[in-house]
Parts: sequence; structure tokens; C-alpha cells
Amino acid sequence: MSAGDIRIQLPGRPEADADTVVIPKLRSIAGTQTVPPLTVAALCDEFGPVCESAVDPLEIASALEFDGMSDQTVRDRYGYSDVFALANEMYIQVPRQPAEPPPPPDPWQVSRWQPLLHSLLYGLPAICFPAAAALLAGPGLHPALITALLTAWAVSQGLATLGYLRLGRTTDRGQAKRLLRAGLLAGMLIVIAAMAGVAMFAHALLPVLIFGAGEGAYMLGACVLLVLGAERWLLPVLAPGVAGSAVFLALGRPPELQHIAWYSLAATALLALVAALLVTRNKRPAPGRLFVAAELRNAVPAAVFGLVAAGLLAFPVIAGADGHGGINVGALLATLPLSLSMGAAEWSLLAYRRRTRHLLRTTQDLRVFGRGARMVLGLAMGQYLVATVVLTAIAAWIAITTGLVHPGPDLLPELGVYLALGCAMFLALALQALGIRAVPLVASAAALAFEMAWRELGLVSQLAACVGLLIVLGAYAAVALGAAVRHAF
Amino acid sequence: MHIALTAEGTYPHQFGGVSVWCDQLVRGLPECDFSMVALVATGTEPVRWELPANLTSLTAIPLWGPPPPPPPGSRWLRPRTGPPVRELIEVLLAPPDEEQDTFGDVLREMFAYAQYGNLSAALASEDSVRLLSEAWRHRWPDPDLAAPTLQDAVTAVQLLEHALRPLAHPPPRADVVHAVTNGLGALPALAAKWRYGTPIVVTEHGMYMREHYLHSRQDPFRWPVKQLYLQFLRRLCVLGYHEAAVITPGNVYNKRWEAQLGADLDRVRTVYNGVNPADFPAFDSEPDVPTISWAGRVDPIKDLESLLRAFVIVRRELPKARLRIFGSPPAGREAYLARCQALAKELRVAEAVTFEGRVPEIRDAYAAGQVVVLCSITEGFPYTLIEAMTCGRPCVATDVGGVTEAVGDTGLVVPPRRPAELARACLTLLRDADMRKRLGDAARLRALEYFTVDRAISAFDEIYMFLGAGKPLPVATSVDVLATTPAAAPGGPPAGGPGGGQPAEPPVPAAAGPVAAAPAAAVPAESGPGEQVPVMTGPGRPLPADGVPADEVPADEVPAGQVLASQVLASQVPAAQVQLAPVPDEPAAPESELEPGPAGSPPLEAAG
Repeated sequence: MSAGDIRIQLPGRPEADADTVVIPKLRSIAGTQTVPPLTVAALCDEFGPVCESAVDPLEIASALEFDGMSDQTVRDRYGYSDVFALANEMYIQVPRQPAEPPPPPDPWQVSRWQPLLHSLLYGLPAICFPAAAALLAGPGLHPALITALLTAWAVSQGLATLGYLRLGRTTDRGQAKRLLRAGLLAGMLIVIAAMAGVAMFAHALLPVLIFGAGEGAYMLGACVLLVLGAERWLLPVLAPGVAGSAVFLALGRPPELQHIAWYSLAATALLALVAALLVTRNKRPAPGRLFVAAELRNAVPAAVFGLVAAGLLAFPVIAGADGHGGINVGALLATLPLSLSMGAAEWSLLAYRRRTRHLLRTTQDLRVFGRGARMVLGLAMGQYLVATVVLTAIAAWIAITTGLVHPGPDLLPELGVYLALGCAMFLALALQALGIRAVPLVASAAALAFEMAWRELGLVSQLAACVGLLIVLGAYAAVALGAAVRHAF
Repeated sequence: MHIALTAEGTYPHQFGGVSVWCDQLVRGLPECDFSMVALVATGTEPVRWELPANLTSLTAIPLWGPPPPPPPGSRWLRPRTGPPVRELIEVLLAPPDEEQDTFGDVLREMFAYAQYGNLSAALASEDSVRLLSEAWRHRWPDPDLAAPTLQDAVTAVQLLEHALRPLAHPPPRADVVHAVTNGLGALPALAAKWRYGTPIVVTEHGMYMREHYLHSRQDPFRWPVKQLYLQFLRRLCVLGYHEAAVITPGNVYNKRWEAQLGADLDRVRTVYNGVNPADFPAFDSEPDVPTISWAGRVDPIKDLESLLRAFVIVRRELPKARLRIFGSPPAGREAYLARCQALAKELRVAEAVTFEGRVPEIRDAYAAGQVVVLCSITEGFPYTLIEAMTCGRPCVATDVGGVTEAVGDTGLVVPPRRPAELARACLTLLRDADMRKRLGDAARLRALEYFTVDRAISAFDEIYMFLGAGKPLPVATSVDVLATTPAAAPGGPPAGGPGGGQPAEPPVPAAAGPVAAAPAAAVPAESGPGEQVPVMTGPGRPLPADGVPADEVPADEVPAGQVLASQVLASQVPAAQVQLAPVPDEPAAPESELEPGPAGSPPLEAAG
């Protein structure tokens, strides 16, 4: 009795009867009817890949059974006592020759245009400041602008972290959307509360407060869109504000167009909020808890880092204030190449991660890996530095030729400061991306504290703080990022 | 009496057979207090079941997401010696049949360490990576053959770190701790035994290890990682059996695997799944037209294609015959349904075959046919069969998993993937109303005797009583009675085993012998949607709607005649893996918890 035969005698019907009726015609219909091969060798052949990569005979047994092989079939056909005995024989007969799994997709391989797009998205909003300059006057201007910047940076960093954490924990994007939407609204409340505080204590004027809130709205909306990978929405969002500002500036700030420029800025801020709210719509209510304590705990350092980074970036605005209630356009414009360079930082960071990933997959010795990882980090820094120098040169050339900035003796040291700060921020990002949060936070906070304590020295204290930060983070990264376990993915 | 249930990826966060079973168990023993320790993937899973009043506590232990907080004070009162990472690595690299005792000792030390030190930090450390990569370099037989890289070492220590997270939680306190899945799900049970001496019951509906072997083929890991992790799981299962006071597989067929993994068969008591007879009263009529009914999840492992091909033959003999298919495909895998529909057209039987989707009352699906067919290529102990049997419908089923145990001599059993045999068996029944009546009645009697919820619950009630009182189970109940004649008491209450002990296992026709099968996981879609979900797959992995790997293989890619198992090998990187990869951050956002999420472990199945 072969395995192909029915095993239970059907009462009242001789077996042959059914067979003769059915089988000849069946061959043409039943394409999937399979019969196990007759010999163990043929079976080994059929199960070749399974046997070659089996870690033990039981793995082969599981595959045989999954193919419908029963102990009875094994006894009838191959003469072994059961599936396990057969699997054991197959494990012995076929030598281990495991096939390499298909190379997993490289998570750091992104579109070549993405960093460029991000660069623009980070940098373009800077053009809105000069367009709004006429709005930005009166008492309490600096507290208002600084507060808006710091609050929006801190909240958006915290929110981005929350969003990424949730996206990493669950496949249910609905949960992340709900969280980001709640975070967006809570963040806006925080920004508005901060502006209200500024109004109360620094007596800032309403246009300034609205500008600050609009800045917050744009940053939070953009943050939500970026986290959800919907950054393409940011281009239409930015279009009115950037186009309005550009035209306004290009025409030499004609007063009659002033209002149109302002409305276009307001449109961008509102559009950012609307786009973020649209993107976070959920068809069904998402399950699970809205906030998770562990995620919130992780988001706090990120928010504080955002605060510190914004402080470091905005320091020249504070220190460079001339005290007459105006705005230091030159200092603000100097942050433009730095904003643009964040795209370069992203690009270098991705390249860094691709290279360390490759290194990890081709190395067997930890020391070799450590040396290689340090070289790769240096390479990425160099890549970032070159890109930033080029961007800064272009920005400086445009600013000078359009007369927005008048080059003074401070220009070169100022640019030097920003290059050092940019490199330090790049290292901080690399450390954070690999799970080290405390050190960049503490070091950056110390640098900011140093700047503030010696702010009457102006550029000198800034230069000292930024170069110091770069050295500390560089030395730490060289050691910490040489550990293989840091580069798990 | 307080019972702690422990499990991985099932009740109360998922639907599926094991969850149905847990719910039945807890509700069936209202006089016992239950607590549940559920290993989950990330902790974001909502509770999907309404919890019974006597389920007094629920602890969810996420294996992914942020590591468990270290015990208070562990930063300052750092243990003088670290956890035995080196010893763990050594034992995992040893041949599987050696040093199992060492493995038990090492794991116990890991547990002791985790209770006052930060085990996660110690395991996922550069030191562990160094120990493993050096051990590999010294022991690897052939440097040209899948030689381990640092990436493999990092992945492996991370997998172990995630897998051992349950050890860092306080062990459940109870009179009996009942692991309803072996493997990782048994870790909290082992911890309870080590800490409090609590006796352990290990239940397996599907075979944990078999599922993991099959699933390992889809994992993206290189061979060294696969080998190390499977050895870890295998040793863990062996340890689970070893430490268990009683092992209760869901069918005799599973016992073969348990024996292979070193389980002491004296401690094995088979307890079958059951259905509530009140939900499945006997039918008093059958459809007039010769109709074959099929119910379940529309899925490649159910092999509807063979059924369609068989139906062509049936139609040739009985032109009026109809085939009614009840059930829907799991979300995201609708392609198989479309393919079956196309096949029905191609075979020119489309007008006689109806795909009816889900039915609110699964009973109606059985009522719709003169014969109920189960044609899967792999099953555990399918609810479809015992439900149809309880209704008194005669069944034709393929000889996989626990099917022959369920059907016994009250239905027709044919080999899997043989349309001709399937057609012949169906024709036999469709042509013979007397035989349908006879087999249907016998099936109902058999189901009422052996496969009722009450019977399953009273079996566990008794096990709990004995273990809770510190007594061994009566010896008489351990006898397998495969060869005995059924003492069918028509319509009577389930008969207990000798001396009121464990119910005897039902007789199975000798011809079927010890049956073989494959990874189980059969729950008809209607009786328990979804499946048990592996939690060692990492966040971001789409929750499999079925516990069986082949499901994920688009069957279009299946060359005719190739074995299913090797299709698994040939299948692409699971979509899961793409999502496991961390989202490349925009520079502003720290990567933080975007877990590496490798870990492909497999589903435990939800056996029917």
C-alpha cells in the first residue's frame, strides 16, 4: 500500500472502482498532485536547500511534516521508523552548505534628492525673517523672538522623538498619527502660552506675538509632516510665504507690498497646521494608550537638546542685538547656511551609517571594526564640512551681492563659528542617532552656559564655546562610536 | 486556588485558537483565581478580550521597545559578578544533546542576576559581542562557510537580550503556574518555580519548536545567528519540559515532538480542545442537493485548490453537486482567494462553487453541506472538525496533525494534496445517505464524549487540584488508550478516565497509526479570527494573520510539485523585515528606540 492510497477502506465500494474512473482524467486536471519521491536520495535532492541550511535534524523533520509527510508514509516508502529517523538520515547525507540570505535592504539608502529637499525645507523659512522685519519692532522683541524659537525647537524635537518612538514600536500608523496630532495641539498651546507670557512680562506687541506663534505653528506642522514622511506637503505649504518674501525682497521691500508679504507668511503658518492636521487624520479611532510614560521620558532629553541647540544657534541674535529694538538681519542670515547644512548633515549621516553597516557585515574582529569606524566618522565629518563650506560661501556671496549684509571684519570669524557649531551639531546628531543622548546634551548645555556667562565677549566666547564643544564631542564620538554594539542596524 | 497563566503573543491581546482556549479555561473555572502574564511585542497592543471577573491580574511583558527599567539600586549596588554570558554562549555553541543541565543552571543564574542587576544592559553589551565573536572565531569549522561576522554577533546578543527580558520581571505568585505556550512563554513560569517552587504545567496546542524551525527560514538572519538562536529556543523548550510537573499537549500527535525534545512521557497528559455542545446542536436535516461544505480561513495551507480539483471529479459523477466555501482570507492576503476563484473558472465548475465569505454563525456553514471537508496540508487539532462532528455532519479530512485523532473512525481520512482520493471519499459519502447518517451520528457521539469544553476544563481542574496540593497525578491516568474501544455513551456526559482521573484519549483507527503532520494552526476563521502572534518578531513586523510560514509565500511563485517547505526558503525577505529597519531619522530626531527589531521568531501557533 503506497502513501498515495487511501488508507481507510470505504465501506461498500471497492477501491479499484473509484481509481479506474478517476485517475486517467485527473492527470490533466490535477496539476498539483504530488507524490513523494521513491528514494531517500531523491528526497534529499528535493529537500536540498532545507537540508543544507538545517541547524539540526529536527529542522528537516519539521519541513518534511510540513510537506505532508507522515510517519506512515515514511515507514511504507523509505523504511525508516518515523519522520524523525528519516530526517536524521537526511541530515547526515546532505552536508551543511547554508545559502546566504538575500541581502536585507539597506535602511540608510534613501533617494539622492531627499537630503537636498530637506536642505531646502530647513533653509527656506529663513528668508521669511527679513521680509517680516518691519513687523518686528517695539518692546520685548528679542524676548519674544527668542522665546518663540526656543519653545518651537524644544517642542518639535520632543514631538519628533515621540513620533519616531511610536512608529518604531508599532505597525499601526494610526497610533502614531493620533499621538502626533495630540502633540501638535499640545505644542501649539505651549507656544501660545509662551507668547502670552512674553506679552505679559516683556510687553511685546501683537504683530510680534503673532509672528512668534506663526513660527511655532510652521515648525510644529513641519515636524509632524517630516516624521510621517509626508514632507512633500511642505513645498506647497512653504510656497506662499517663501514666494511672497522673495518677491518682496527682490523688489527692494516696497511698502505697498508689505501687507501682501505678511499675509503670505501667515498663509504658510496656517497651511502648515492644516496640512499636519490633514495628514494625522484617522479613519478609525486608534487603539492603545495615547501617551506612554517610557516614551515621554525619552522625549524629554530630546526636547531639552532642542532647546539648547536653538540657544546655541540663536546666540548671535542675543549677543548681537544693538539694543535699539531692531533685528540683526545679518546674524539671522548667518544661520541660513547652517540651516541649509542640516541637509548636508543628513546626507553625511546616512553615508556614515551605510559605511559602518557595511563594515559591520564584513568584519570579524572588534579592533578592526573600531579603527574602521573612526575613519568612516572622520570621512563623514569631512564630507559635511566641505558641503557646508560650499553652502556658506554661496549664501554669503548672495547676501553680500544683494546688499543684505555688509561684510565687516567679523564676517570670517563668524563663519568659522558657524562651521564649528555645524560640525559639533553633526556629531551630536550622529551620537543621538546611535542611541547616545546624555553626552551631547550635557556638552551642548555646557557650551551654551559658557557663551551666556561670557556673552559680553561676543564672538570670542561663541568661538571658544563652539570649538570646545566640537573637540569634546569629537573625542567622545571617536571612542564611543567605535563599539560594534552601537551600530546594531 | 490561584493559577498563573503565562503565554507569548496570545490571550488577551490577540484573537485566535489559543486565546479562545484561555478564555474558556478561565471562565470554566470560576472558583479559581487566575492571573495572566502575557509576553507581548511592544506593549502597545490593546487588550482585545473582555476579561472574566476571576482573572484578577494581567501583566504584559513587552519583549521589544525600551528595555525593562533596571531594578532600583542596581546602578549603585552593582552585582560583583556579571551574568554568566560566557557560559551561555559556550553552551549554545555546544552540540544540542550535550550540556543541557548547564543550560538550566546558566538560565537560573541569569534569572537571579536579572532580579537585582540590569540583565538587558549586561547582555546587549560590547563585552557580549566580544565574547561571542571570539568564541565563534575559535570554533567555526570552516572560515569559508557562512563565517560569522560582527553583525551576526551583534544581532545574536540582541536577540538573546530581548528573549530573556521576562526574567527581569517579578515572577508570578500562584499555587500553580500554567505555561500555555512553551519557549519564551515558559520563562515567567520557570522564574516562578525557581523563586517560589511553584509547580509548572506546560500546555502546547501547536509545537513551539516546530513552528520556529519553519519560521526561521523566513528570517533575514545569516546561518550563524539562526543556528545560535534556534539552539537557544530548543534548549529552552527542553528545559520547559524538564521543569514541568505535567505536560499537556493538545493532541497525541504533538507528543511525538515532545518525546524528541526529551520530554518525560510519564508526565504527558493529552487534553483535547473542546467545543460547547450547546453551540452545536445536532442537525435534523440536510440539504437536498448533494453539497460539499468547507469552512475556514481561505489560505494556502488549507489547500482549497485540491478541493476544487477534487470537485471537478465529483461533478463529473454527480452533475448536480455543489461546493460551498465559507470563510474569508486574512487581511492582506486576498490574492489566494482570487486565485481559487480563477481556478474554479478555469476548471469550469465556477457555476457550482460559491465563495460565501464569513458567516455570522459558523454552524450554518456546516448545515449547508451534506458533507463537511477539511483539506489542509497542515493542522493542529482543528476546531472545524470537532464542531462539524458535534453537529453530526460526516467529515472528509486530510491526514494531517491531530486530524485522525479527532475523526477516529467516524469520518473519512485521505492523504493531503491528493484530489483524486479526496473526490473518491466525497463521492462515497454523497452517494450514500445511510453512510452519512451513520458516520454523522457516530461523529456526534465521539465529539460529545471526547471533545467538549467541560471535559477539557475538568481535566485541568483536576491537574490544578493535585499539583496545588503538592501531590503527583494518579498514575493510571497516564496511559494512552489509543487502542481501546470507545465507551460511547449516547448523549451521556463525558466519561472520566479510571478512578475519576484524567479522561482517556479517544481511540483512533489503527490504520492511521501515529499520524504525522505539520505545523498546526487551524482555527476556522469564524470560530476564532486571527492567530496567535509571535512577539519575538520585533515591532514593525506585520502581525501574521496565521501562524504558518507558507502563508506568506505567494502561491503564485510556487512551481508545481515543489515542496512547500522549500518555497519558504525561496521566498523573499519578508515584508516585515523592511519595516523592522529603523526609520532613517531626519537629522533632528535621535534614533533612540527604533529597535533593531530583528528577531524573527515565529509564531506559535494557535492550534485549533
